[in-house]
Amino acid sequence: MATFFDQVREMGLKQATVVKADEIVERVTVGMNINDIRGMLRGDEPRRPNPRLRPHADGFWFHIRPSFYHTEVTKIYPTFRLGWLSTFMFVWETITGIFLMIFYTPRPGTAFADMWNIMSNVPLGQLVRDMHRLGAEVMVLVVALHMLRTFVTGSYKKPRQFTWLTGMVLLCLTLVLSFSGYLLPWDQLAYWAVTVAVSAAEAAPPAEIVGYNLNLLVRGAPSFGAGGLLRWYLLHVLVLPLLLAIFFFVHYYKVVLYGISLPPGREEIGEDTAKRVPKDERTYFMPDIITSELMWSALATLALIAGSLWFYAAPLENHADPLVTPLHVVAPWYLSWSQGWLKLASKEFIAFVFIPVLAVAFFLMPYFEVGKSRRYADRRVGLSVSMLFIAFMLVSNWMGSPEYLVQSTPEIEVAQELIPQEGHSHLLQVPYETLVPGRYVPLAPEQEVPGNKELTHALHYFYDAMRLYSCRTAENGSGPWETCRERVRDDGSIQYRNSHTSDAMPNPQAWLLIDQLQHNMVKLTLCFDVTDPRDPNVKLVDNDCSAFKFRHADSNYEEY
Amino acid sequence: MQVKVVIGTLAFMLSMIIMGFATLREPARMERFTLAYEGRLIEQGAEVYKNNCSSCHGVDGKAEACFDDASGEQIACAGIPLHTPELLCDGDSMPLRLSQRDWAGTKYGYVASVVAAGRTASGMPTWGEAFGGPLRDNQVENVTLFVLNWESAELCAGPPPELYAWPDDVEEHLAAFPGDVAQGEAVYLNPTYACTACHGQMDNPASAAIGPHLAQIGVIGAERVAGQSAEQYIYESILYPNAYIVPDCPTGPCASPSSMPANFGARMTPEEMSDLVLYLASLGR
Repeated sequence: MATFFDQVREMGLKQATVVKADEIVERVTVGMNINDIRGMLRGDEPRRPNPRLRPHADGFWFHIRPSFYHTEVTKIYPTFRLGWLSTFMFVWETITGIFLMIFYTPRPGTAFADMWNIMSNVPLGQLVRDMHRLGAEVMVLVVALHMLRTFVTGSYKKPRQFTWLTGMVLLCLTLVLSFSGYLLPWDQLAYWAVTVAVSAAEAAPPAEIVGYNLNLLVRGAPSFGAGGLLRWYLLHVLVLPLLLAIFFFVHYYKVVLYGISLPPGREEIGEDTAKRVPKDERTYFMPDIITSELMWSALATLALIAGSLWFYAAPLENHADPLVTPLHVVAPWYLSWSQGWLKLASKEFIAFVFIPVLAVAFFLMPYFEVGKSRRYADRRVGLSVSMLFIAFMLVSNWMGSPEYLVQSTPEIEVAQELIPQEGHSHLLQVPYETLVPGRYVPLAPEQEVPGNKELTHALHYFYDAMRLYSCRTAENGSGPWETCRERVRDDGSIQYRNSHTSDAMPNPQAWLLIDQLQHNMVKLTLCFDVTDPRDPNVKLVDNDCSAFKFRHADSNYEEY
Repeated sequence: MQVKVVIGTLAFMLSMIIMGFATLREPARMERFTLAYEGRLIEQGAEVYKNNCSSCHGVDGKAEACFDDASGEQIACAGIPLHTPELLCDGDSMPLRLSQRDWAGTKYGYVASVVAAGRTASGMPTWGEAFGGPLRDNQVENVTLFVLNWESAELCAGPPPELYAWPDDVEEHLAAFPGDVAQGEAVYLNPTYACTACHGQMDNPASAAIGPHLAQIGVIGAERVAGQSAEQYIYESILYPNAYIVPDCPTGPCASPSSMPANFGARMTPEEMSDLVLYLASLGR
């Protein structure tokens, strides 16, 4: 074998470099030289023996990928690319996650400041954080849709039962993985969402032994602190991704082993022909599938970057405070159904009977549901049940929102709309300069604060919020509100309601105070005064100005 | 397949262009976010201040308007002013209060450590969790930022504040600030100092709830310490409540150390002190 220098002497530098490069490419791709790759991308026929099969046979990266697919499963239907997209999201989360890990320390004293450091002091830090958070939510959605697709096309049926089971494991891991990242910013959202979710652990029967110890295990101490944060961090960056990777490979191995099932109409009932692909129905991985996957990778990357930059902002609330529970603690949307169920039944029942039974039913479903046909017309009952189940989950998700069964008093709800304890509102997003000190009342759509469009806008929202939680009594009512409907409570007092809420303020007075507290900070105070319509001497809400919020000139809620 | 190659390449290039576009915006955005972070910490500090500090240091930090948390009534401010050039404005090199206390560190460090550790002599409680108080480190930081945020060009516009060192001898003080007996009653009744909350109304001995009733203090004060005038006795008792402990208070023997705030030296102007001393010394004579 001639050395590179021999070749230079023989052919000259230029030719020798080309030959060397060709050789390196062939070595890296385990069999394809530059001409093979160019020919492949041009759509030429491969030479014989086909070099495009060698990476599958001899290379590491492609040995798990099949060298050809049935042409029927390479179209959008029946897979919708959802399995591939799930894998892509996992890689995406890993890359963005590693970036974030560099700037993060899992310690209560620093974690929250680290988040702001990422957003204010790391170039592209906010974008990567948004990409990671958006990716997490998209991944949950994609994995869930992947499961739905598998159910609808009947692809869980024999011989793919175990593939379905590992897929269920992956779905659960995805949910837990996404949720375990929730605690890491150590803000109020993180702290309380996770506190509420793991409070179910305490209820594990018998509570004195199992519940107590399970609680210690998940929180690292009787309540969340340094130990709990470190534990959840390790789960998030180490244990769960590792488990997910292992189950992913098992899952994918089974997918390759049995092949991707064909559209139900393509095969005879009871037959599985995914692995018997006639020559003329083969679509080879090189070049078609790999090109397609690279294109979809580029498109997904584009969508996630653009989405994170312009349409999505990962939330960050105030520093976690174990002593202050924010009003309306909610689980993330993909677990909201469980919060909805918890409002209806005991923690013990939901967390240790209902959800586990449901989960086991899902895991083992393909072993019980053994109907031979995958065709839609033969599975009317199963498909109907699945649609009902989806509807049930959507309703449960709504039940998890604060609208269902956890409404506070009307004045607190209005204050929460305008100056929420955490998060944003139309009033907070008004530019600082337009918060002119003074006393303001809610403005009907046609009214305005002269020369102050932004504040006018916020006061219109004040009016809208008041309208939702106010009513006027028929006899001596004032204000533009809906007429009250009245109901006598058991204790004889009157409950005033309107079409939106069962607890409305009759004939309310409400106003907003803006005071200059420091040279560059104002205090926003909301005041409410409600007189009992039956007795002018009784106040239902007595000049209550307890809702307030501070707004600094630089705090920039209008942007974030 | 060629179409896919083109679409993929374009999408990839577009992604990179968007990233480049985002990168160009980063320096300005990061600056805005840095300010926003500090602004929000100050907002959080304002909340901590309102809940824990305002009933002693006043709602505006001037130790003038203090309100009881439960009843909402105005009470005597037990703390010293924070919203003052003495603490916030760098006189010659550092704020007066810091040099007065021989503090070698920063203004931030001074306020943060006083908040965290507290002060025994002046009754400032310990707030920092690290020292056994109720506030987490980040809350101490936030409230410190809030206090320092009272600094403004306007506040520090005047000449650097000068410390008024209260002379030991009341005559010396009265020579510099002659005072006006007629104004003294107003100082006594001023809700900021809330003398009446403990010593009661002059015409109603029963209204003195905690401290001795002062209607005869002009006579009693002159007799309390041999060779000392009533003015001197009153002057010292206001500045240093523990200098003399009276035997009898409305609730029994007077507490020692005295429960009277020791912060009047920091809160009263020299003129107000003269007015008040002359007014009290005139009572009962």
